[in-house]
Order: sequence, then structure tokens, then C-alpha cells
Amino acid sequence: MTAAAPARAADLEAGRRKSEPCKACHGADGNASIPGTPSIAGQPVFFTHWQLIKYRDGRRKDPQMSPMAANLSDTDMADLAAFYASQRPTPRPATTEPAKVAAGRELAQQHHCVSCHRPGLVGHEQIPRLAGQDLTYLIKLLRGFKAQTAGDLDGTMTTAAQPLSESDIESLAHYMATLPPAPAP
Amino acid sequence: MFRTPVMLLAVAVVLVLALGPLGEAQQPAQAPPPWKQGQPSSMADSSLAPIAQPPAPKAPGEIPVDKIKVPAGFKVSLWAHSINNARVMTWGEKGTLFVSSRTAGNVYAVVDNGSTRDVKVIAKGLNLPNGIAFRNGTLYIAEVHRITKMVGIEDKLDNPPAMEAVYETLPKDLPHGWKYLAFGPDGKLYFNIGAPCNICIPPDTHANLSRVNPDGTGFEYVAHGVRNSVGFDWHPVTKNLYFTTHARDWLGDDMPSDRFDIAAKKGQHFGFPYCHQGDTLDPEFGKGKSCSDYEKPILKTGPHVAGNGVQFYTGSMFPAEYKNRVFLAQRGSWNRSQKIGFRVMMVTLDAKGGIAKYEPFAEGWLQGDQVWGRPVYTQQMKDGSLLIADDYAGAIYRVAFQR
Repeated sequence: MTAAAPARAADLEAGRRKSEPCKACHGADGNASIPGTPSIAGQPVFFTHWQLIKYRDGRRKDPQMSPMAANLSDTDMADLAAFYASQRPTPRPATTEPAKVAAGRELAQQHHCVSCHRPGLVGHEQIPRLAGQDLTYLIKLLRGFKAQTAGDLDGTMTTAAQPLSESDIESLAHYMATLPPAPAP
Repeated sequence: MFRTPVMLLAVAVVLVLALGPLGEAQQPAQAPPPWKQGQPSSMADSSLAPIAQPPAPKAPGEIPVDKIKVPAGFKVSLWAHSINNARVMTWGEKGTLFVSSRTAGNVYAVVDNGSTRDVKVIAKGLNLPNGIAFRNGTLYIAEVHRITKMVGIEDKLDNPPAMEAVYETLPKDLPHGWKYLAFGPDGKLYFNIGAPCNICIPPDTHANLSRVNPDGTGFEYVAHGVRNSVGFDWHPVTKNLYFTTHARDWLGDDMPSDRFDIAAKKGQHFGFPYCHQGDTLDPEFGKGKSCSDYEKPILKTGPHVAGNGVQFYTGSMFPAEYKNRVFLAQRGSWNRSQKIGFRVMMVTLDAKGGIAKYEPFAEGWLQGDQVWGRPVYTQQMKDGSLLIADDYAGAIYRVAFQR
């Protein structure tokens, strides 16, 4: 429990060096290939930084990520977030079912996903890109929000996930996984 | 009905949110995210959205204190920095300044060494712990769903004591679920239970000001029809409770105004969701209602200004006329095409308790359309100077008067 280090402008190259331990799961450029592990390339700076804070403080829990984030300083987080935001996201290979993709497109409309995640679900600021994300990860995370175990920043996603059925979750994930993962502006 | 246990109806909120605003048959069945809820179809293309909270505080060199304008004779300095998402400030008895946060989930202790300040994190990972209050060596912390306490905290800042339960049966709803917390003149802990929506018929348990004894007994509602009040204080002489309220969004740039109210007695209704700003019925929920049935604000503070902190000035550093004036910290608008707020306003009350003057005290966090900071709460120092917390820059400023 010590004083936070004064913030300073994020250092992209420092972020690249500090991302060394992250490579094994998230890939050298933040594009992961392990099913269930998200790609973080091109995610907005605020988003990645907030997630790391939540892992460090125990508000978001994961057997792999919690220990990785436990000893990161605020500066480390800013550098890592800047590095990954600068990387270009590539599509994740996924076997999606056209019927689920179509149903997911409808559900995304009904559930107002674009209100926060923006058209194309590309994300901005503290809100993540969902387009082209890993299918297994999307399903896992939506189930977590529904179960109220995936800590979100302000409760918006927990609230939004409550009306979703298991088949809704699958359809939404299939739809999101097929969208082109354009980098967040 | 006022005695209904708070916890029983928490579940109902999810249902209310899921149903969303009625009456537009073409709308999809699911409720939009809370901040977007109530947006009319005519505004569907609006790009307005809440301002994102930065994940880290600004470095001191990135904080342009000289842009903060105050009246002649006053001077602003950067008092503390690197306090992520700094919100409510409250003093310990031994000179520690406790500082809360909201999305950062932390509670801080700031130890003043004269020319420098140490910032310690005394609790982290909490559920939007905005409300903090201190009495008899104990720090009380209000999260969304519970009030807890840390006994003897000021002697154990480096090894904080466990958080003990005070009152743990509050609703879990996150929209407007964060709380302001303060001791009233009656020794009770006062806090808000906000409406779990932008606009809806809230459950009977929500949209109020409430109080509980510091031992967790005697819960009761104080005021109803209060959409979300996250700032209040008591008049130093009359002991009346004054509070700010954030008004609903998506009724346009200039409607409705946020409010500054007085709760002169228990059980009054302040209009939400039926009547806004004391004189305007809600286009949907106001049907068949009359504004004359509800309390009117003593001051319309402006549309979307987001009034948070309320503080009566009781110090002796500022000129004599400042005594018993009220500082209102306005965090600033998002639901308006031209930004407004981002300032600390000052209210002068007349002899009858009415509004004599409403004027800026500190402003400059908004430059053109660019926001570099958001003043959210104030706290008086022992010497009579005024601290202002900025949750966007993660900083605390000190305003002093120099003759």
C-alpha cells in the first residue's frame, strides 16, 4: 500500500519491452491464437489500462491474469496499454454458424450494443472492441457478466447481460467474431 | 410503505430496467444502457455520451493550475496529485485527509507533511466507494451495496484495519448506486439511494435520501422523489439539509435544470420522475400529475451541470461576506451539445434563506470544448482555505485568500 507513482506520458517502446511476459498467451503483437484468450491488439488505451487496474485490485479475477497484473505499476499499465493500442488487430480463426451470426446481428440491435461499443463494435475509450474477437472468449465473458462474476467498470455490462439466454450469448458471440476487427479510432 | 426493507425490492429494479420506457411500439424490447435510456427517437443519431474516466491521474506537469480562475485576492495551487479518480474528501481527527474514488475503487489517505503530501491507498477493489465520513476515530465507507467502517484507521494507515459491517442491506443496482455519505447534526449517517435509471418509475426503495444510525440501526427515508443526489450539507445556523440533484437526460440542451434543494422536514417528495425542476412535467411519466404536488428547488443550477459537492463555508480565512455561503462543485455536462459546468459555483443566501446570488467561484477546467479536469467535491481546511477535488485529473487544489 504505497503512494502511486506520478503519471507521465506513456512510452510505447517501454510498453513493447514490458509486454515480453504477455507474449506467450496474447501473441507478440497482441493478437492471440489460444482459444479463450482475447486479442488485445488495437484495443483502446483506456480500456486496456482499466482492465489491468481491475486485475491488480481484484475486481476482475482470472487465474492467469491476476498474478500477471499484481505487481504492475501505474506506469507499466500506461505503457502496456499504449503499446497494444498501437498494434493492428487481425481476425481470429473461428468456425461460426451462419444462423447464429444472423440471430446475433438481430440481438445486437435489440440489446443496443452499438450505443457503447460504437458502430461496427470497434470500441472507444474505456469500451472494448468486440469485432473479430475470439469466439470462445466472447462466450466466456458474456456468461460471466450474466452470472455477475465478470466485474465491469460501472455495471453497464452486468445490467445489459441479465436478459440474455445461453443461446442469445452464443449467437451474439458468433456475430461479433465475424465482424472485421478494425482498429479503434 | 416507507418501512419496506430495502433489500426486498432490489430485484424489481432489473425488471424495471428490462422493461424500459413504454409507449413506443417500434422500439426493441430490451432496455438500452442506463445512460442512453429515455433518449427519444428524434435524438437517435446523437453522438453525446458520458465523458470517459481516464484510468490514471495526470502528472503534475500536465495539470494547468494557472487556468483556474478565482475572484481577485484568491490564489489556487496544486495541493495533491496522483490520486486516481479523487472524489469526496473528509478529515480525520489527527489531520489525515481521507479521499474516496468511484470507478477506481480505492480509498486514499493523504498525509500532509507541510510542503509535500504522501498518498496511501487504504482500501482497494471496492464497489464504487464514493461516500466517506469520519467520526470518533472511525472512517465510514459507503459503497453501492453496503456501509462499512474502519475503526482506529488514523493510527494504522500503513496497515489498515478490516472493514467492519455497519449496514449491508442496500440495493445492489449500479446505475446511480454510488453514494454520498455524511454525518447530520443529529449524529446519523445520511446517504442517497439513486434512481436505477435515467428516467423510470423507481421502486419505492430508490430515488431518495436516507439515514441510519452509525451502529446500523434505525434506517429510515428522509426525502423522496430525488433522482440522484450525491452532495449535501447542513446550514451552520438553521441546521437545515441542503442538497444538489442531477436531473434526467435527453430532454434537450436546456432542459431540465439540475436542482439545489432544501429538505426542511422528513418525508417530502421532490418530484422525480413526474416533475422536473419544480415546474415541468415529464413528457412520459408526468401524465396526469401536477408539479404543485411536489417540492420546488430553491435554485435551478443549470441544465446538465452535474452538481455534486455542497459545502457551507464556515472558515475565517475568506472575507467576512463568505461566511455561510455555499460552494457547489459542478462536474460538468455530457448530455449537451455545448458543454456547461466544470466549475465551482457560489450561492449567497438571503436573510430568509432564499437565493441572493449565484455566481462562479472557480472555473477554467473547460477550455472551449476541451475538458482537462472536473471539480467534483470541496472540503474546507482548518485554516479556512478550500480544497477542490478533481476526479478527472486525479488532483486536489487549494484555494487560499491573500489580503
